[in-house]
Amino acid sequence: MLPNLGPVGPFPDAPLGDHLERRWLHYAFRSPSGDVSVIANLSTLGSSGPATVGQSMSILLVHDREAGWRSSQFNATVTPQAWSSFGASKGPSRMRISGLSPGPSVDLRLRRTGRPCTSQCAPFGFDQHLRWQSEPGIRATGLAAASGDDARPVRLVGYHERVRGRWGWPDLGGWVFGFVNDTPAPSGPPAYSVVFTLITPRDDADAATGSVMLWRSGRLVRHFPRRRIDVAVSGALPRDNVHVFPPLAATLGTAPTAEVPARLVIVAQTGDDRLCIDVDSRTAGRIVNPSELGLAPFSVHEVLGPAVVTGRVGGRQIGFTAGAVVEFAGGAHAD
Amino acid sequence: MPTDHASSGQRRAATETAGPEPAGADVFTATVHELTQRAPAIVAAAAAELGAIRLALHFGDGTGGALSAHRSRLIATAHPPASADVEVYFDARAMNLIFDLAARPIDEVLPGSLDVRGPRDQVLAVWRTMRLLSQRASGLRAVQELWRCYRDASPHLWGKPPSPADSVIDGEPTDGWAAPRDTGWRALDFFDHRQPTGDRPLVGGTVASAPRSLWDGTRATGWWLPEPVADADLVDVMTACRDRVRREMNRLIPDRQPKSSLYELIRAYPTRQGKGLRPTLTLAACAAFGGRPDDAVRVAAALELFHNGFLIHDDIADESTHRRGLPTLHTEHGLGLAVNAGDGINLLAVDAVLSNLETLGLARTLGLIHEVLHMCRETVEGQAIELEWIRRATVPRSDQAYYRMSTKKTGWYTCISPCRLGAVCAGESGPALDVFNEAFRWIGIAFQIQDDVLNLIGEEALYGKEPLGDLLEGKRTVMLIHLMRTAGHRDRVRLAELLARPRQGRAQEDAAEILAAMQHYGSIDYAIDLADRLAQRGTQRFERDLRALPENEGKALLRQIANYVTTRPL
Repeated sequence: MLPNLGPVGPFPDAPLGDHLERRWLHYAFRSPSGDVSVIANLSTLGSSGPATVGQSMSILLVHDREAGWRSSQFNATVTPQAWSSFGASKGPSRMRISGLSPGPSVDLRLRRTGRPCTSQCAPFGFDQHLRWQSEPGIRATGLAAASGDDARPVRLVGYHERVRGRWGWPDLGGWVFGFVNDTPAPSGPPAYSVVFTLITPRDDADAATGSVMLWRSGRLVRHFPRRRIDVAVSGALPRDNVHVFPPLAATLGTAPTAEVPARLVIVAQTGDDRLCIDVDSRTAGRIVNPSELGLAPFSVHEVLGPAVVTGRVGGRQIGFTAGAVVEFAGGAHAD
Repeated sequence: MPTDHASSGQRRAATETAGPEPAGADVFTATVHELTQRAPAIVAAAAAELGAIRLALHFGDGTGGALSAHRSRLIATAHPPASADVEVYFDARAMNLIFDLAARPIDEVLPGSLDVRGPRDQVLAVWRTMRLLSQRASGLRAVQELWRCYRDASPHLWGKPPSPADSVIDGEPTDGWAAPRDTGWRALDFFDHRQPTGDRPLVGGTVASAPRSLWDGTRATGWWLPEPVADADLVDVMTACRDRVRREMNRLIPDRQPKSSLYELIRAYPTRQGKGLRPTLTLAACAAFGGRPDDAVRVAAALELFHNGFLIHDDIADESTHRRGLPTLHTEHGLGLAVNAGDGINLLAVDAVLSNLETLGLARTLGLIHEVLHMCRETVEGQAIELEWIRRATVPRSDQAYYRMSTKKTGWYTCISPCRLGAVCAGESGPALDVFNEAFRWIGIAFQIQDDVLNLIGEEALYGKEPLGDLLEGKRTVMLIHLMRTAGHRDRVRLAELLARPRQGRAQEDAAEILAAMQHYGSIDYAIDLADRLAQRGTQRFERDLRALPENEGKALLRQIANYVTTRPL
């Protein structure tokens, strides 16, 4: 299902060894007006059994400002093959993802406009790690349908990421991740893009891994390391604004999880460079991922809302407002 | 008891108006006053810590004050006492350490700013008292505003306040848009200076929870971890709950004919609102049991409608002329229309309870109906008992008879039923609802006794009823029961003769005569003391009976209300 993801090394194209090994591709896009948002996650888990056949799961979420959130189950189909700027074919390509009828579907032509960051790795637990590589400024044009046959043409800008590692959800703890793309020119990369990550393992309060990265015109211009970032949250998003996915999760009586913060502020500073990202949560789709090591699911809240990015980097003043996608993930170790 | 009864608004105005700078002692007493209003549970705990210690305070601006405890109340005065067990000297900058969060202590403290003298154990008790007060006060917006006004009026006492506009980072002046402090850029500082504004939420989230750090460069906290439970600003929460329920009541009253003779009367009556005790109890109990406060709004509105219906009929039965500072409905519009309006309000209330079917489902709505029926039955039984006493011109001998009547007449619908109804909205049923009964029974009785005392000694503007109205009505209060139990034979005969007269036959002089007798025989002091003891019993039962409930915001708010009775200034 997943394509060849590049050279051997940080992301080896090697079989997944056991049931804790996994790799995935993540896609998140928003229209400049915020009317349509598309989020997809394609993942493969290893197997400890004799069959050594991995388990693939794909989920597609479409948020339409009028229709609200729609989601497939974990069995969305991807044709002809998952596109990735990290794969052998980095050129534009078409990718269709659709849930079973009458679920959401997208038929998009994807194209990169910049360069990715170098990969980063979060070690935790005894022998677990999560490695990821990010690339904002991905353009997607085509059709998106929240449900059934109401597809409409869309022009989206977003983010792509590849992940590989070995971890159990309870040990991982959780993360806060997100990105903001400044409104781009008609065809080029966004003037600025920001990607932030904070992975907080369950047991080691001082072993968090995180970064804030700034792209200018498709080029990574600043990487603020974990010791130089400061993350705080405030308030809680009303529970009515948090929608549980996939649809099956609701019918299984999934237990509630923690409240999603209503506001997130991340401040990064190093030398004379400073950046402040202020995100206002408006709505969230909670993806309930089953955990291999316990009954409590691992919840990934895909949060949409406006963000204000301000600061000064390399002597240049930065200031823009744009739609953000933020993930508040965690909860697998809860009782 | 606090000597100064000025409202918080008046106090704030006093510190805001131009003129002489506010004195440190005044700000301190105003702070204690705000705490008493907004965080009664903390004041009760602080009073317990202070015990019998008399504390003298000396401020850097030359003024002095005193702090002592009486039962669960803190008594702060702006006059230094003649003698004290513990003396505290602090300059104006040191006061910042106690209550004001506008600047950081490390920037303000100076050697010798604070000097405390007294026996070691008492100094420690004072320290614990002040710690309780300061921790809570620092989270109260009203107190911070008070200190902000003081700070603005006396800038020379405080040093230069931090200003985003003139902050300097690494030697360069900033643009001022996001440089909260000279200490640099921090995410929490950003929240400090750019707090969002918006509608105040109900109980869940009533506390303007402090922003929290997930990662400060060295230590991480999972975003999913629960925030420490905090208790709310009682005044603000009660106002928010009252207003929210009021809007729901307006929605429930139909806009149809006949208006002038029915629906306008019904719509106008709820504007005479009280503090919002019942709505707050209902919503807090719902939150305490894990429910959504919004789910309890409709039944809280129904409860208020029932309450209004009862009041209209009660005023007729008691022949009262004033209610909440305005003429009673039957005085203004005549007996017939008032009775009919009372009936109409009760019907609307039943309708409101039934309308929970769509949102809460059948089981909870049936539970609500059951609770409401029980409440109404208790109320009419209590009313019958008291009316019978008045009709027969008898006064019960024992306080126990009063407890029984008071619990039935007002205790259920004022305290117990709102809690039970809130819990039903959260999905609770059966014996679990009984955890409220004993605690709020005693609290309800204490509250009623205090109300009766205020009717005799409080200001009409604050209480809203006609002066000595209870005595004119011949209401059987604890004071009257105590008076008839302790008065000499001759006085008792005279009082019995006064009480046997019909309502119209009792003049203001007669009421004044009864009041004088109450003061002579110590009946009012007895009632105040009794209310304190019953309130203490109630708060103890609260902690014991509700022990199984998890500590959450709803429970914290219920605790504040329970302690409100113990610290209420009389």
